[in-house]
Amino acid sequence: MSKLVEVANLHKTYPGGSKVAALKGIDLVITRGEFTALAGPSGSGKSTLLNMIGTLDRPTKGTVSYDGHVVSALGPDPLSDFRLRSLGFVFQAYNLIPVLTAVENVEYPLVLQGMDAAERRKLAQEALGWVGLETYAERRPDLLSGGQQQRVAVARAIVTRPSLVLADEPTANLDSKTGAQLLDLMQGLNKDHGITFLFSSHDGAVLERARRVVRLQDGELKSDEQRKI
Amino acid sequence: MLRLAWRNVWRNRRRSLINVAAMGFGLAAIMLGQSMIRSLQIQLVQKATGSITGHIRVQRSDVDEPKFPDKFISAPEAAEKVLDQDPRISVWGRRIHMTGLISSPNASLGALICAVDPLKEKTLTDMSSYIKEGTYLDPDGKGIVMGKKIAGRLDVRLGEKVVIMAQAADGSMGAEAFRVVGLQVTGSESFDGQIVWIPIKAMQEMLGRPGQVNQLAMRLKDVELVDEVAADLDKRLPPGNVRPISWKVIDREIIGIQAFQNGILTVVLFIVFAIVALGILNTQLMSLFERVREFGVLMAIGARPRWIVRLILAESLVLGLVGVLLGVATGAAMIAYFGRHGLHLPVGQAFSYFLPFPSVIFLRPSWHQHAFACASVFAITLLASLPPALRAGRLKPAEALRHV
Repeated sequence: MSKLVEVANLHKTYPGGSKVAALKGIDLVITRGEFTALAGPSGSGKSTLLNMIGTLDRPTKGTVSYDGHVVSALGPDPLSDFRLRSLGFVFQAYNLIPVLTAVENVEYPLVLQGMDAAERRKLAQEALGWVGLETYAERRPDLLSGGQQQRVAVARAIVTRPSLVLADEPTANLDSKTGAQLLDLMQGLNKDHGITFLFSSHDGAVLERARRVVRLQDGELKSDEQRKI
Repeated sequence: MLRLAWRNVWRNRRRSLINVAAMGFGLAAIMLGQSMIRSLQIQLVQKATGSITGHIRVQRSDVDEPKFPDKFISAPEAAEKVLDQDPRISVWGRRIHMTGLISSPNASLGALICAVDPLKEKTLTDMSSYIKEGTYLDPDGKGIVMGKKIAGRLDVRLGEKVVIMAQAADGSMGAEAFRVVGLQVTGSESFDGQIVWIPIKAMQEMLGRPGQVNQLAMRLKDVELVDEVAADLDKRLPPGNVRPISWKVIDREIIGIQAFQNGILTVVLFIVFAIVALGILNTQLMSLFERVREFGVLMAIGARPRWIVRLILAESLVLGLVGVLLGVATGAAMIAYFGRHGLHLPVGQAFSYFLPFPSVIFLRPSWHQHAFACASVFAITLLASLPPALRAGRLKPAEALRHV
């Protein structure tokens, strides 16, 4: 498998009186098709590392590269365009736009891409089909359960066919059964459509589903374990 | 984007409704104010020019005071020929306005004597419409029309005689007896208590000035053309010592009143604009703080910072559009209502000392002013939302996503 993401000597120190060092020289490579979990206790740097890989935040030192191109130094507009075309995000709190229906939420990234209405509606319906919510397309988020909202968020993340989907504690707000169903869905998308997933969690049951588990502690990479499922 | 903006605006329905209502009623108040001032001004000009001044007068260019021309035009025929040929003039008439003494067996008092061509004056001014007892003047007779107040002070009634005295051409005092043929009530202290009307022919004979006038007053078909017609007449009048003078020079105090009213309106306008701007700023700032996380999500999924800025501006556009539509509808409805039923304004009573001025103003729209107010409210709405929009555009995605 080819190398997709390369993180080299990544540091992140948050400014302020105490200058918290969240990441201390992380080196990590993600290859295409991986289903990788970032593990570690609260404050270990999982979310910070996801933000850096997702280009949502800038490293204090070090680089993040995609397909050999350093993206961590790009300006705001090229970074937005990069995220729009290459990345998908799933958040712990779902973060759907409350005034839009499920299908409108899913097609929002395609609106940003400037795709015509008919084409983007077709792709959004297809993505909703992949997550099993085609019949809920016209419902607004407040009429969907937490699990359904998170599935819509997954559909939104994959609708642009991104190289990588980043998920920060995607099951943390779900009960264990719904969380397991969401992981089934993510695994299916990974297996059937070749979408690379990198997600964070501190839940043992969730980590067991990952083929690779990268453990962080106090901002440092503690272990990198390949697993067979 | 507009669809999302529309839904975002109504996300907090109560807040948006309060904002739109503030904007709409503010604009409606501005429109009502503009219409009141404009209607008052139009009515004031109509009354001033329609009661005594006329739209333009041809007078001697060497008079001391244009309102009371004290010098005579000895041969007005050449100027009259020019007036006859101008199709923009609906009517013109010969006049002599001068101060004199009016006496009855019981009293004497000073008055402004307006000697007019009765047939022309009937369409030049509306004075004949105020006659409550008796009739209007006969061009060849020696009748006099006066206000009931002045008649009361002189203690004369219809059919009784008064004597008018004024300085004749040779410097002596000309005098003539006139029979009271009409008594008028205009409601104006000045008109009812200080002005009398007689036929110009009798006045010319009394003064020993046959054919002479001290003004040729005219009424235009369109008062808006007054400056243009006055300028044209100035070129076309025969060379000599006469010139056309518009009502704006004769009644220059009205121009001063208009400037004062416009000044007050401008101040009120700015206050309302400031209230609207603060309302929008408050709404958009509140909306920004509530939706920081959402903007973080939009940025994460690929929205450029300027997309966020445009989204907030589009929301203001929607707010502004709804507010302006509400304002125009409410303002136009109020103007239409008071245009039909009239609006009682104490200012009418204040003016009525100087002019026959009703205390009821009939409002009419002033669309060019209303359009300016609408455009200003709209522009202010967008301007007020610019700081929150720019602030949202500067958000950092990771920090915005952490926002609680």
